[in-house]
Parts: sequence; structure tokens; C-alpha cells
Amino acid sequence: MKIDNSLPLEYSTDENSNKILGFWIFLGAEIMLFATLFSAYFTLVDRTGTGPTGAEIFEITPVLIETILLLTSSFTIGLGIHAMRIGNKKAMLAFFTITLLLGLGFLSFEIFEFVHYVHIGAGLQTSAFTAALLTTLGTHGAHVTFGLFWGLFIILQVKKRGLTPETANKSFIFSLYWHFLDVVWIFIFSFVYLKGMM
Amino acid sequence: MKELFPMKQVMGFVFSILLTTIAMAVYFLDMTITTGMTILLVTAFIQAAVQLVVFMHAGETKDKGAIYTNVYYGLIIALVTVFGTLLCMIWGYI
Repeated sequence: MKIDNSLPLEYSTDENSNKILGFWIFLGAEIMLFATLFSAYFTLVDRTGTGPTGAEIFEITPVLIETILLLTSSFTIGLGIHAMRIGNKKAMLAFFTITLLLGLGFLSFEIFEFVHYVHIGAGLQTSAFTAALLTTLGTHGAHVTFGLFWGLFIILQVKKRGLTPETANKSFIFSLYWHFLDVVWIFIFSFVYLKGMM
Repeated sequence: MKELFPMKQVMGFVFSILLTTIAMAVYFLDMTITTGMTILLVTAFIQAAVQLVVFMHAGETKDKGAIYTNVYYGLIIALVTVFGTLLCMIWGYI
């Protein structure tokens, strides 16, 4: 295998840079997936039937906490990748762990929020609005949940095998996924919550 | 310790917190729906661009062209899906 030392470890072989490009193509497909969910949400947002409207059920404090948690986790995983590039495995693992803890915090708030919605009578079957809302939020939450397990396995692998072109590549791809989840959340935060409460 | 916090990423983080704060104005201040939506659209897309360039290292290697083409393609399909749906499901009937 030809290793190009002028590039960071995660790009150092042809296979590695192809995997990164391939993951970007997957993210392109994910953009379109979330676009269809947003389309459904914007179409159905006023179809509340006998159920509550967004302005009635959204609360600013938990939403703001979720946003800060996810934004910070996106920052810390960026620092993790930077630490990986300068070869500091210990710092990288520390940043990845912080990232996952922040992600877990985000998820706890979201689960609490879902339980709260169902409790006040805004479940999946209440109205077209709640169905579209919970599907959109749920798809994002499911991605975060998946990311938590993925990240955990990445940490274990780096711990066991050290920083090789393979593990660095996997870590970098995971970081792309995590940043992407933050991007999707920014749009949910702006166009679902803030627009709904405006 | 200092080399673990590159200036570019710290600034990116500060900037994204700042954009979130600006977006929050639509909740705390009284404004028309047009002004509010303009602020949200501008802050959300800048925020997404910051993530892409600063944190996701989109333009670092020789694959830069392919990566950006792919992102723009995804974005165009996304915008056509969202606005096309709005046009034929809502705006067309007002």
C-alpha cells in the first residue's frame, strides 16, 4: 500500500481518500433525506386539527440547551481531529469522549422533550403537525443515537490499535458524520423551533 | 496545551455561538415574519457553511472539487424539494 506522508494520516492512502469522498456522497444523500422531512413538516405545520400548535408546546430553555450541547460537541470533535493530526492520541480520545458525553446530554434532553410532548397530548397520532414534527426530530435523534454507538466503537478501536491510517480514517469519517448532525440541528433549531415560537 | 486549541477552530466556535445568539433575536424581539425569516435563513446558512469549511475540512485535498460539487448538488435537490413542495402544496392555493 502506498502511503503518502505529505497528507494527514486519514487521507494517506488512495483507499482512505476514496472512503472520505464516498462518505461525502452519503452526506449529500442525507441532505436530501432531511429535505423531504422538512418539506413534509413545512407543508403540515398548520394542520394541527384539535391538537396543540407549535407555539403552544415549544419551550425555549430546553431547546437552547440542546443547541449549545450539540454546537459544543461539534467543536470538541473538531479539536479531537486536530489532536489526531498532531499525533496526540491521549488528547484525541479525551476530546472524543467529551463529544460523546455532550451528545448523550443532548439525547437525554430530547428524550425528556418527547416524553413531555406525549404527556401533554402531542403524540405521534395527534395531528398531521405533531406527526411531521416528531418524525423529523426523531430521525435526527435516531442519527445521534446511532452516532453515539459508532463513536464509542471508534474510541475503543483507537485505544486498542493506536493511530494507524485505518483508525485515523474511521475517526475522521465519524467526525464528518457528527458535524453533519450539528448542521441538521441548526436547521431544525431555526426553522422548526424558532420559527414556531416567533 | 495551547497547540490543542487551534485559533481557526476556536474562532469558528465563537462565530457559531454568535450566529445562534443573533438567531435567538427572532424569539426575544418583536418583528415581522419577513424580517424574522430573513434573519433565520441568513444565520442558518452561514452557520452551515462555517461547519463545512472550518470543521469538516471540505476544501483540504485534491478531492475539493468533487466534494463541493456533491454538496452543492445535494443542496440544490434539497432546495428544489422544499420549495417545490411548498409551491404545489401551499403557495399555489393562496
